[in-house]
Amino acid sequence: MSPKLLLLLFLRRWHARIGFAAVVFFLFLAVTGVILNHATGLGLDTRYVHAAWLARWYGLVPESPRHAFRSGRHDLVAANGRWLLDGQISGERFPAPVGLVELPDMMVVATSASLYIYGKDGALIDRLEKGALPATPVQAIGSGAQRLMLRTASGTFKSSDALSWQPAPRDVIAWSAPADLSVAERDRYAKLLEPGVSVQRLLLDLHSGRFAGRYGPLAVDLLAVFLAVLSLSGAWLFLKPRHRRERR
Amino acid sequence: MTRAARRLLAPLALAVAASGVAQGQVYQEPDAFIAEVFGSKPAPKVLWLTKDIQEQVVAILGHPPTQLRQRYWSEGAKSVWILEETGKEELITAGFVVVGGRIDHVRVLVYRESRGQEVRQSSFVKQFKDAKLAQGNRLDRDIDGIVGATLSVGAMERMARLALLFDRLSHDKVHG
Repeated sequence: MSPKLLLLLFLRRWHARIGFAAVVFFLFLAVTGVILNHATGLGLDTRYVHAAWLARWYGLVPESPRHAFRSGRHDLVAANGRWLLDGQISGERFPAPVGLVELPDMMVVATSASLYIYGKDGALIDRLEKGALPATPVQAIGSGAQRLMLRTASGTFKSSDALSWQPAPRDVIAWSAPADLSVAERDRYAKLLEPGVSVQRLLLDLHSGRFAGRYGPLAVDLLAVFLAVLSLSGAWLFLKPRHRRERR
Repeated sequence: MTRAARRLLAPLALAVAASGVAQGQVYQEPDAFIAEVFGSKPAPKVLWLTKDIQEQVVAILGHPPTQLRQRYWSEGAKSVWILEETGKEELITAGFVVVGGRIDHVRVLVYRESRGQEVRQSSFVKQFKDAKLAQGNRLDRDIDGIVGATLSVGAMERMARLALLFDRLSHDKVHG
């Protein structure tokens, strides 16, 4: 048997073997790659995976909720950038709240830099930031005479609609204050408020191999080398017999 | 999990967390933009996004509005809308000045994405000058894209349509 024929047989055998061995990985890379290309359109950047094992894997140290803000029939517990408002998760990547106030037709959550106005059904009505507030940082919020009260380093302000603000005296204001949680409540809320990783980040780490740690990207590099070998051997296997036929 | 893997992923996780509080590039504070348009900042007005309006917003943005009360500032036929929309991953804050149902000018106020800042250049935003709503709440003209900033361009166009729609609805509210 000629050396060229031996090489052809060798290449054909190993082309098939590498292709078969790597088919699952190549399919995985192709599928995750296509999904990542459309991640924003699919809303994967706003969806999060919450699981204790995943947080541990990412080295995220879960923050345990220590207290709740309560006002009327509403309560708010926060941890790991997540808010649990009346038992409903309000979103991800939220700042730490400084108070919760219930007013006749809305409830207001304050952070040091913004106010979140919610309807009674929990729908977000408005988010007021620096330009829409009389002063920042917000130190506390409260209520008095059915008005929203805001305490800042520049003074105390009142508003009936969270749009226009007037200076207010500091008397007769029920300021929102944190209430300690029992151990059982902490455990329950900690499970509900586990930190998460966005689906887009997770897919990107799986696609690049980073999810597997230091050697993950090297394994993906190795797959890339396999893919290059398959492409070259495939091209050679395709062209060589044709070349031979043409020479005859 | 191995310590090495945790060491590798922890900075990524921190970056994810940090991106939540990223302030981005502030080109102009929204307050300063409003004051520049009117000479001083007038009291804000409010457009409530009723179910009917929400449906129109969804048709433009492709997703429900993030809040149900839209603040705006107006004097006479001129109104200013400070809007936010996600480009690729982060919000873009832009100011739209609408006069008589047409866009007078547009300015990108805060840009938080890592790429695509070209949308703030005057050569891009001047395309919106005099644009008005056509049938189906679309702009009456095509906006030329920018290579590498496709999603930011899309976000700017959607916000422009929204500003014009809100302006029209705010006038309907006053006169209707």
